[in-house]
Amino acid sequence: MSTRLLNIANTGLNASKKSLEVTSHNISNANTEGYSRQRVHQQSNMPLIKDGLITGSGTRIKSINRVHDKFVEKKLRDSQSNESYYNNRAEQLSRVEDIFNEIDNEGLNQILNNFFNSFRDLANQPENETVRSVVRDKAQLIVKDFRRIAETLNEISKSIDDKIMISVKDANQHIDSIATLNRKIRELEATGDETGDLRDQRDLSVKELSKIIKIHTYQDERGNYNVQSPGIGTLVTAAQSQKLGTYVFGKDESTNGQDGSMEIFWASRSGQQITEKFQGGSLGAVIKVRNNDVKQLKEKLDQTAYEFMNYVNAIHRRGYVNREIQTDVNGNPVSMDNKGPTTGNNFFSAPMKIEGAALNIDLSDAIKSDISNIATALSPNSPGDNRVAIAISKLQHERLMSGGTATLEEDYLKTVGNVGLETGKAKLDAEQSEGLLAQANSIRERISGVSIDEEAANMIKYQHAYEAAAKVMKTANEMFDTVLSIKQ
Amino acid sequence: MTRVSENSTTLSIRHTLNKHKSKMEDLQMKGTTLKSMRKPSDNPAANIEALQISSVTKDNSQFKRNADFALLQLNITEKALENLTDIMGKAKEIAIAQSSDIYNEDVRNNVANEVKQLKNLALSIANKRVGQRYIFSGFKTLDTPFNENGEYKGDNGHITLEVGKDFFVQVNLHGKEVFMAESETDSQVTHPLEKFPEMANSREKSKNREIMSEENNREIASSPIGVDAGKYKESANLFGLLDSLAISLENNDPDQIQNLLEKFDTAVTRLVTLRTRVGSVASSVMTNVNTIDANNIDNMERKSKLVDADVTELFSDITRQQEILKTAYKTSEGLLNKNLLDFLR
Repeated sequence: MSTRLLNIANTGLNASKKSLEVTSHNISNANTEGYSRQRVHQQSNMPLIKDGLITGSGTRIKSINRVHDKFVEKKLRDSQSNESYYNNRAEQLSRVEDIFNEIDNEGLNQILNNFFNSFRDLANQPENETVRSVVRDKAQLIVKDFRRIAETLNEISKSIDDKIMISVKDANQHIDSIATLNRKIRELEATGDETGDLRDQRDLSVKELSKIIKIHTYQDERGNYNVQSPGIGTLVTAAQSQKLGTYVFGKDESTNGQDGSMEIFWASRSGQQITEKFQGGSLGAVIKVRNNDVKQLKEKLDQTAYEFMNYVNAIHRRGYVNREIQTDVNGNPVSMDNKGPTTGNNFFSAPMKIEGAALNIDLSDAIKSDISNIATALSPNSPGDNRVAIAISKLQHERLMSGGTATLEEDYLKTVGNVGLETGKAKLDAEQSEGLLAQANSIRERISGVSIDEEAANMIKYQHAYEAAAKVMKTANEMFDTVLSIKQ
Repeated sequence: MTRVSENSTTLSIRHTLNKHKSKMEDLQMKGTTLKSMRKPSDNPAANIEALQISSVTKDNSQFKRNADFALLQLNITEKALENLTDIMGKAKEIAIAQSSDIYNEDVRNNVANEVKQLKNLALSIANKRVGQRYIFSGFKTLDTPFNENGEYKGDNGHITLEVGKDFFVQVNLHGKEVFMAESETDSQVTHPLEKFPEMANSREKSKNREIMSEENNREIASSPIGVDAGKYKESANLFGLLDSLAISLENNDPDQIQNLLEKFDTAVTRLVTLRTRVGSVASSVMTNVNTIDANNIDNMERKSKLVDADVTELFSDITRQQEILKTAYKTSEGLLNKNLLDFLR
């Protein structure tokens, strides 16, 4: 009789102790990232029939579960992907934007403007050597600025290449750890119970992976946990993982038309390039910036440089150099003198092709070697003739670009405007997605996070239950003593 | 009832503090630069407009420089024409006085010397320079336009300058139209790019756009100088006229002098007309400079609205944000580091 009492008290003691252990585990992990609080499921034991009565037989801990909501977890993962995408996009684009920022300093637009105005000044006094050298200096600044923009855009692409390589390495690590955790969880859970801590770790890895790329997870009918990336394919199936690899490519095979471009492949299938299939996450963001935004800007800039050089050259070639030109027997001006051709000189070195025009822009050798080669006159031996200079200065207000619909300035400012708009949009999206992520995180922490207050209250509760159970044991003990003392 | 955990509290505190602080930082930056815009993305449309205004302002100051050059050239030309008119007037007076039989040969010989002096004076005006350039030699500004015999060595170049957007003025008269009294060149001021047929494509389109302003401007700009100078084609040249007078005087030939009178009249009238026209171009240039100045003020005002921060608003915003941040710190102090365990003693 008393034995049963002792047994029942023992189950209570054990259950309280286990519960206190779980409470302690929760408190210890209060600050562990990705940790979900755990709860004991306590159940009364099977009742027994004894002496015709159905009586209880104490308590037991049925299971220890983590408090977890998989839909909240999924929402958190998606928010994480979005936040990472927009933040990375905003970060990269604001680097691009800085190139075109002319609020505090002189940018290409003002430099182009200075160039045209220097030609206007030259038209005022075409005889003046000093003004000529000012024109050459201003032209040199244009050369520098086109190169600055083109080079900085290339640098941004290059830094994105590095980022892609590191991101893919990171992603591989997470893919690997998810697969490993899958195996461990399956082994541990073969006994039937859920392993909260390992599942938390896997969720954390999945969350980290979703920072890099957008992913979906699901459990198939055989209980395999799978990770998939939309547009790419399956990354993890149970304990199997598919890793990614990066290779450097030359200009012709690259996706962004730049030498040394980093491209992504499946590590096991090197034939199929998947760089542009990535969506969301930091990887999706930087690839899009590199392959769309930066690439388009470079093309646009090349186009501008190309047209600009060609138009200036076309007019400049018609002019005569600013020095005494001898005439031949028929009274026609000679086409060559000891300093080179007397007419038909290019101002900028003629661009070979549109691609790379901004990077390769330079003054022509004639202009570099002698400023008297800067032509202002449309007729030979006419130092006061400013018609060529005026014509070049008027290119500023001509609708030369976009099939004759925009001036150089309008066209360039449209590009600057687009950069500003895109960056502004990305910043706004980043801010918004940050808010959403904070919200999702907060919901997750409300459900799964540890509350010290709650744990403290539980601790008191279990402690009291433990004390009470111990009291029952003591009582049972006294009962034994009573029974034993009868015999004496 | 919503459950609150340690982490959810920290997260929300972190989020709000971060938000307020980044707002504060933004305001701080605006406060130090006094600009409402620091990057294109802050306000893409305003950024572009501000850049366009900067360009226009720079163009305008260049146009004003051009106008200074044009005015210098025009004023000197006008002054030269004035002096020339005086000389011709004086010569005409002499001719009138000497066209009768009152004077004898000796007197006429002396007067002839005076006329020769007048011719030399006219020649020196014809070879007048501004800085290093001769004003009456067309495009060949570095060559002396007239030799001592009064032969023209320059060309028929008309120099134009842009003194306002698409507003071109002719700033010189070449020696032929002033001294030789003939004008072969077409003095219409045309758009400089029309000399470059390869630009025709873009010209065609832009013409439609600016047809009004250009047409108007050209009307004013082109009509003043020498449009109908052609009708003086018949007249003799000024040096020749003075020479003829001197020779007639030396020959003591009052009839011949009489014959020259009418030519002197025409020459003086012609010079006066040219002068008035140069003057009216100069005044249109000045009007244009005033327009540019007014335009600049408007532009600066607009740009300031786009780029500069509203100081009062900015600083009241900063004060408000500081208060908010302070409150946020105060409340989070209460939330953090306090839990049930502190009271279970």
